Formats: sequence, structure tokens, C-alpha cells
Amino acid sequence: MALVPNLASAESEPEADATALTALVDWSVRFSHAVAEDAPDGLFLDISGVAHLWGGEAELMADYRARLAASGVFVRCAIADTPGAAWALAHHGKGAEIIAPPNGQADMLAYLPPAALRLEPAAAAQMERLGLRLLFQILGLPRAPLARRFGQHTLTRIDQAMGRAEEALTYRRPPHPWFARLAFFEPISVLEDLQKVTFDVAAKLCERLEREGQGARRFRIAFHRVDGRALPLEVGLALAARDPARIAKLLGPKLETIDPGFGIDVVTLEAEAVEPISGRQVRLDARAEPAREDGLAPLVDRLTNRLGELRVWKSAPVATHVPELSARPGAPLESPRGWNPEAPRPLRLFRQPEPLDLVMALTPDDPPRQFQWRKRLHRVARAEGPERIGEEWWRGDINDVSVSHVRDYYRVEDQDGARFWVYREGLYEDGVPARWWLHGVFG
Amino acid sequence: MSGFRDSRLAALKAKIAALEAGGRADSESLPFGAADLDACLPGGGLPLGQWHEFVGAGMETEIGACPAAFAALAAAPLARRGEAVWILRRDDLFAPGLVGLGFPAERLIQVCARDEDEALAVAEDALSTLGVTAVFAEVEGVDLTAGRRLQLACEKHGATGFVIRRRPYGGQERKGTAGSAAATRWKIAPALSEPGPGEFGLGPPRWRVELERCRGGRTGGWLMEAEAAYTWEAENGPHPLRLVAELGDRQLAPAQPLRLSA
Repeated sequence: MALVPNLASAESEPEADATALTALVDWSVRFSHAVAEDAPDGLFLDISGVAHLWGGEAELMADYRARLAASGVFVRCAIADTPGAAWALAHHGKGAEIIAPPNGQADMLAYLPPAALRLEPAAAAQMERLGLRLLFQILGLPRAPLARRFGQHTLTRIDQAMGRAEEALTYRRPPHPWFARLAFFEPISVLEDLQKVTFDVAAKLCERLEREGQGARRFRIAFHRVDGRALPLEVGLALAARDPARIAKLLGPKLETIDPGFGIDVVTLEAEAVEPISGRQVRLDARAEPAREDGLAPLVDRLTNRLGELRVWKSAPVATHVPELSARPGAPLESPRGWNPEAPRPLRLFRQPEPLDLVMALTPDDPPRQFQWRKRLHRVARAEGPERIGEEWWRGDINDVSVSHVRDYYRVEDQDGARFWVYREGLYEDGVPARWWLHGVFG
Repeated sequence: MSGFRDSRLAALKAKIAALEAGGRADSESLPFGAADLDACLPGGGLPLGQWHEFVGAGMETEIGACPAAFAALAAAPLARRGEAVWILRRDDLFAPGLVGLGFPAERLIQVCARDEDEALAVAEDALSTLGVTAVFAEVEGVDLTAGRRLQLACEKHGATGFVIRRRPYGGQERKGTAGSAAATRWKIAPALSEPGPGEFGLGPPRWRVELERCRGGRTGGWLMEAEAAYTWEAENGPHPLRLVAELGDRQLAPAQPLRLSA
């Protein structure tokens, strides 16, 4: 202080540093989702396969440093094949932006001090005392004496820097807010145990959901086996819920597909599509329509989880004239309205209209007098129509529009009273026989 | 002495009726609004909290349009009170067609089952759900065990089942089982419609309706039509079905004396 009177000094604040580093790690996710914290003052970014998004490794690194510099953070970066080599170059290399070519880290590291290998302090001091000041002196030494003198850890660090050994990094994940985990002292494998822990982990998560007034529409449970494999299961709900018994019941039948192997030691449950739900008020009027949460929503959940989402639906109207497009499968718990009851539509509509044979009509735009369908001849007693339905020309290409893309629908009744919805395709043309189709059957 | 016998008989009949209702003494019924027809049914209307069978004939055994239309109209007042579920094997049910007949399609959940057993299991599940008043199931047939299970499911919350017998396209006709646990069995065939005076085209849809089997009631045959099909009033009538005439041909549906099955 006496030598440099105007030196600015500040207290060391390790906690604040750690918080700032965590924030930096979270921010770095924009470059790659695999970010690992390297306390106290660094981080690892796995950029395998993402550099091309910035136009190359150099551009990525320049962008990274520029963005941080804009916020007043100045950093040293290095890119190398291994985390160890990158760490060494970033801490001890010459320059703030270093890129080691693929498989070229050995040459780059040669003139760095042994400390660049992240050695234990005792081993580093020992090397210093023996005059091993640069890495190429160490790298050339035989492995066995090296391990004996400086410890196995030193050898591991050398291998990790050179890419001869794996290094496990603990990547930081963005925290998932709706997550519960249960670990067991003894691995479990019996089905009854699985059922019980399913309920327990659901209860744990649902307690939190309830406290914060939330419910979720999708739950994903994962059973982590002793051998490291995770077996996931998923259920979806029609209405957001947080009742552990219900979730456990939905998952119940699927638990049989879980192969516990040598046992399961951790179970995790994740909630997705979380939305606020209000607590329910019990109705005073017992005769009123029961609440959907009581009966219908659990039924829809059971059916969709057992049969699949596409097999349970409620038809919803679509504003179109084309009959086969006017109803689409919608969510089972909505109440859509909007079809015109005055336009007669069949009760059964065939997905593919079926061709009619032996059609007789008096004049080209008359309803048929008789037709054959599925090898049976039907004589038409009464007929009504036509209802001309044209194509939706505004949806397609202007060049494909033609006045002949029309269907003339007739409602006909045969000699027994069976009612059909038939149509003639296109406009009448001389010499071209009209084509008739059956599109549906009225009840 | 005879007064004593009568009172004992009445007590026994009440006991049998209670047994048939599965412990629910107050079994409800839904009157059609036609005295002729209601008189044949126990309790003066379509018994609720039980399941009913609807069969077609000829082409209808595969398409099942007429039985479906009739069942939908018979159940429409129920569907307006709660929710309805329709279980299909082929998803060819067209909701706008139901709306035209006067069925509240906005209250109908459709389920496409993969096979016969699954269809019956879903029907059972839906019937025993609170808030569901009518369940339609299109299946090939219901044997005694499955029928009994459906009946137990109906009794849970008083939902009514409508089983529409329909066999898959090109499938072999299954031998009809002798017994059935259904409360009633209806045979529905199309009938020529009658347009109003001075009108062209088709009249309201009409059906030849035969009540082939009716537990605790009588059988009969009628000509019925939809009250207000394809109009905006379709949803507001007292009952969407109207009795046109009684079928004169007694050979088709011989009237039977009151029969109690115990």
C-alpha cells in the first residue's frame, strides 16, 4: 500500500464470486447447452457440433468474448480436443484466444508449466524442486516411475489433457422447477414396491404443486436402475390435476412394463404443462350436474392413456362446405357447437366415397332412379336435391381452379326406405358418362 | 281370503321388481310420450339404469345406421342431462348427421376401440362414470357374462347403455346367443318416409320399430319418425321421436301376455 498509494482494494467475497459464476454458466447456455462450472473462476463449454452455427470456432469464441466484454467481463478462452488441454491453454497459454488444432494439443502444451495440468499442490511442488519446469520434460518420461513419484493422479491428468482418458464434467442443467426425486437405501424390484413409490413420489410433487396453486397436465416418471439405465413412463391428463392417487392409478397399469433388472434405486417424477388451477368448491346442490373433475375428466384420462390420444375425441366443427372436412376430432372435454342442423347430413359418412354401378337417371341432372351398391340393386322411391358443393377454390392454386370440380348431392330413399347420400361428380359433358358415388348413409 | 292372496302377490311382485332393479327401488324411466308404446314398457317408459339392445336387419347389420339413429334419438333427452360416450369399432359416425337428427353432439365423446373386448371394457368403464348418462356401444354381440357386467356398471350411477349390434364389414355372421341380459331388445328397420302435404322430396326419417324383448313388459311393433329432423327446432321438442302408427301385422310381433322373468 505504501508503494502504490492509489491501489484500489476490495474484500474477497467467495460467495458472491460463486453466484456470479453460476449466473455466467446459466448465461453461457446460449452457446451450448452443455456447460460445466469450474470453480472458482472458470467454466467448460462443450461446443461439439455447435461451432458451425457461428461460422466456426474462432467466430464463436470472438462472439463469446465480445458479448462478455460488453458487460464488463474479460475472459481468456481456449478451444482444444480435451477439457484438460483447453484448461491448460486458457490459464497458462499466450494470448486470450487460443485454438488448438485437432490432435495438436501436445505441441501447444509442450512449453507450458506443469501447473497447467491441474496437479495436486504436492506433486506440482515436487516437480518444481526437481527442475521440471516445462511440460515436454514430463511428457517424455516413462509412465511407471512418473506414477510412483508423483502419484496416479498426475498420470490421469496427463492422460486427460492428451485425450487418452475420459474426463467427466458435471454439466449444469437449467433447473426444472416441477421435479421430485426419491432415492432408496435398498434397490427395489417388486411390482408392489414400484406402485407404492409411484404414489410416494407423486405425493411429494403434488404437495408442492398444491402449495403453489398449480396443477400439471403431463407427468413423466423415470425409474433409475442400479446399472444406470433410466426407464421412463409418461401419462397425460385432460385437465390439469395434482391428485397423487389419480396419477399413481394412471401409471399403475404401465408399471408392469418396467424391467427392474438388479433393482431400482432412484425414482424421479417430472410435471410438465404446469398451469394454475383453483381449489374446487363442493356444490351444495347435490342434484346438479356433477363436476367434470369427478367423473368425466378421469374417464377421458383413463381412455386416452389406455387406447392412445387419437382414439378418444369429440367432433368439432370446421367452417367449410366440404362434408368430409366439416368435422374434425377435437379435445374430448370441450363443447363445440356450430353445425347447421338444416343441412341434411348422413349419420354414417364414408371416409372414401364408394362408386355406384348401373346408375339410371332420366336426364343428366336428375337424381338417379336406380343404382347398384355393394352388389345390391336399389330402386329410388323418393329423392331430394341437388345440393351442389363446390371445391374450395380459394385454398388451392389458381391454375387448378375449374368450374367442373363440383359434386351434386342427392338424398335418396330406396324401395325399403333406406336413405342414402349420393353424388354425381363434375358437370354434365356430352358423351362422357356421369360418375356416381355414395358418400354416406342416413339413419 | 282372496284379499290376503292379492296383497301377498303384490308384495312378491314388488320384491321381484326390486331384485330386477338391482337394489335400486326407484328405477327411473324415460317415457316416449306415446301412450301405446309406453304401456308396453315397465314403468311407463324406457327403463334407465339398464342397457338396451338395438339390432338391424339385412344391410343394416353391417352399417348400423338405422339402429344408431333410433338409439341416438331415444337417448337424446338423456344426453342433454349429462354427457354421452359413443364407442365405435370404425370411426364413421358423422357428428353433423347427429346434430341434424336433434342429438346434442357437443356432449358426445367418441371412442374408437381396437377390438370387441376393448369396446365392451370401455363401455363398462364409461357406464360406471359419474356424469355420463348415456353410453352407446357398437359391438358384434354381448354374451351373458359381458351383459351382466354392463348391467352392474349401469347400476353404479344410473347410466343407461345403448348397445348397437353391428358386425364388421365382410365378417361372418355370429351365431346369436340365446340369452341376453339386456332390459329390452329393439329391431329397427328403415321405412318409407312421408313428406308433408304439398312438399317434395323426403319426409322426416321413419323407422319400423319392433320391441322384440322387454323384461317386465310386453312386445310390440310401431312405425315411428323423427319429430323435427333437419330443422332448428330439432333440439327443443319434448321427445325427438313421434309415434306414427302401430304396426298392424301381428304376425311380425305377436303381443304376449304380461310376463315376469324372475
